Amino acid sequence: MPAVTATQTSFGDTLVENDASTIPDEPPDELVYHHRARLVDSLRSLWAHREIIYTLAERDFRAQYKQASLGVLWAVIGPVAYLILFVVVFSHVTTFEVGNLPYPLYAFVGILCWSFFASTLGNGGQALLSNKALLAKTQFPRECFPLETMLVNALNTLMSWVPLILLFIIFGRMPALQTLWVPLFILIELVFAAGVALAVSSVIIQMRDLMQILPLITSLGLFATPVIWPYSRIPTNFHISGGHHVAAVKLPGRLPGHFHVIAAHWVGGVTINLQMVYGFFNPLGPVIQGARATMLLGHSPNWDLTGIAALGAVLYLMFGYRIFKRLEVNFADIA
Amino acid sequence: MPILPDGTIEVEHVWKKFRADKTVPKFYDQVRRFGSSITSGSRHDYRWVLKDVTLEVPPGGTLALIGINGSGKTTLLKIISQVTYQSAGRCSVQGRIGALLSVTSGIHPELTGKENIYLYGAVMGMGRQTIKTKFDEIVEFAGLSDAVNRQVKFYSMGMMMRLGFSIAAFLEPDILLVDEVLSVGDANFQQKCLKRIGEIVRAGTTLLYVSHDLASVEASCEKAVWLADAVVQASGPTRDVVGKYRAAVEQNAALTTSTEGVVQVLKCEIEASDGGQVRSECDLDVRLTLNSPEPNEANFFIGVSQGSAFPMFIVRYSGSFPAGDFEVTCRLHHLPLAKGRYSLWPAMSGHAGGKGKPLLPWRPVMSFDVMGPDSYSLPEGVMVMSPVYVGADWEVN
Repeated sequence: MPAVTATQTSFGDTLVENDASTIPDEPPDELVYHHRARLVDSLRSLWAHREIIYTLAERDFRAQYKQASLGVLWAVIGPVAYLILFVVVFSHVTTFEVGNLPYPLYAFVGILCWSFFASTLGNGGQALLSNKALLAKTQFPRECFPLETMLVNALNTLMSWVPLILLFIIFGRMPALQTLWVPLFILIELVFAAGVALAVSSVIIQMRDLMQILPLITSLGLFATPVIWPYSRIPTNFHISGGHHVAAVKLPGRLPGHFHVIAAHWVGGVTINLQMVYGFFNPLGPVIQGARATMLLGHSPNWDLTGIAALGAVLYLMFGYRIFKRLEVNFADIA
Repeated sequence: MPILPDGTIEVEHVWKKFRADKTVPKFYDQVRRFGSSITSGSRHDYRWVLKDVTLEVPPGGTLALIGINGSGKTTLLKIISQVTYQSAGRCSVQGRIGALLSVTSGIHPELTGKENIYLYGAVMGMGRQTIKTKFDEIVEFAGLSDAVNRQVKFYSMGMMMRLGFSIAAFLEPDILLVDEVLSVGDANFQQKCLKRIGEIVRAGTTLLYVSHDLASVEASCEKAVWLADAVVQASGPTRDVVGKYRAAVEQNAALTTSTEGVVQVLKCEIEASDGGQVRSECDLDVRLTLNSPEPNEANFFIGVSQGSAFPMFIVRYSGSFPAGDFEVTCRLHHLPLAKGRYSLWPAMSGHAGGKGKPLLPWRPVMSFDVMGPDSYSLPEGVMVMSPVYVGADWEVN
């Protein structure tokens, strides 16, 4: 090794004075630290620290309602307020083809799915920032913070199942047997939300401007996701008029999951199943659609849609976790 | 690589850089920086806060990090505790780390003391069951009693601090990192904390201690590392390193002959009365040449301190002093100082007390070394500083 030698072992019994002028301006290249987080190790460490996730979630959950005299009720009030708003507005303005389903029940399923995601995006995205003090002083896997907020949101969302049950009773309906599929959709949503929360939280700590954009995304997303409108509004055969060249046909090939794309007119253009494309990029769509179809209508899940949503969600999670691990080197320094 | 025993800290050629933005980064800068942190190649402004730091602590060892503010002590602790990552070099730590980087950081104000004990304990890596068994001890140590069921935001700063320290004090880690956490809290509690740290260390825990309180550093650590300008300046036995550090700090504090008072110190000399080295238990002659514009009836003080803190002893002479240049000599009998470096503080005040300008303000004018035997330490893991040397005749029957 050049220039640098182990001259200063501090635990010697004699005083060693160090000559600062012998130290180079930059560390030699071979010493430069490269942060490598191996997936298996990270996950093992995360598992070992799972109790911290529970404890932090418990902290937030308790702190959240400590001073509010209505306590846990607030978790219910939010979604119900949305429901009332939608019922009042949309039952008079437009009618969506929701079949013979009562619109409040129909909308509330969407609201539940959406509000969990929205709060995970909001709180989870800021999880690292709001835990600055801990982040800069304690050492445990940083993933605990966004995951912990997710757990809190899940608990809150669980409270909102009470009004859902009430709605079932009010409209004199029973959840169909197919409701047993709902945990699958919840799982897809959890995976998707975790991926987004991990990515957003790690990026936001570097670019605080994004924090201002989050509420915007949440409010736009509410309308871009089939919460108040049915998923069937998205066309299954969206026609793109093609040119005369074969190259035009290449277009679906660039989209992930292109094997699902149905190209009807190979010569003149392509027809894309937009529901599939949408479901890949926003797994929430198929999740809401699936929850409605199984719980309210008693249909079996649409496996094409569910599959593409699951694939999308898993890719989101992989991407989010990768970004998070990549950026975690700096968290404590810039928090 | 051989597996190190629990409680080992090995830091080899560790470098750490921080970004050095000239202003608050603009959005464009953030985007650029974000891009480069993804590709992990950074070409932005930075400065080194640690350069080529190497140290090792064996299990059960005690090491102090000293240095002025901003010398990189806390950053080094953070790297060792794996809160942050080094930019270059290797840092390997075996065993469970209890990091007392800031005792109040993990405490949530909305929760009660009890809830916080569970929360903070878990964050520090203590299982729920362990906390339960230690709960009473923790509350007892923090002296909270009934307040433990109150929300922490209604605590006083001291209570919060005590709560934080107490939780950490019962962690039983393999390595304990303590960063300047004792600076709050009253003397009583500080003493209690030092005692507790002593107990933990005697139980075989490795201690890494950061403090500006050199007395407590000397009291609790065998070895020390002095950091300045991101570089290790000296390392070795605590007393020697602390001595070096003190000498450097004193040089910076430039033993100025003050112009603040009415009376000026022109010259200051010391000499052993037998003409030899200044040694423990010798008689020391102090000769000061001063100048006063007018004659004074005054008290004249000479104090001796270790470092630039408060004096260890003071002698006083009351009398009248002439105008113009005059000389004061004083013989200190049986200098009760152990080997080390000390400062001399002269001062002069009128009998009337503190009205008007002080005749000669209280401040060190020179420093001197005393040769002689080292002071003794207690035959336990933790040393107790004993700056005063007292000769003794022994007899064992």
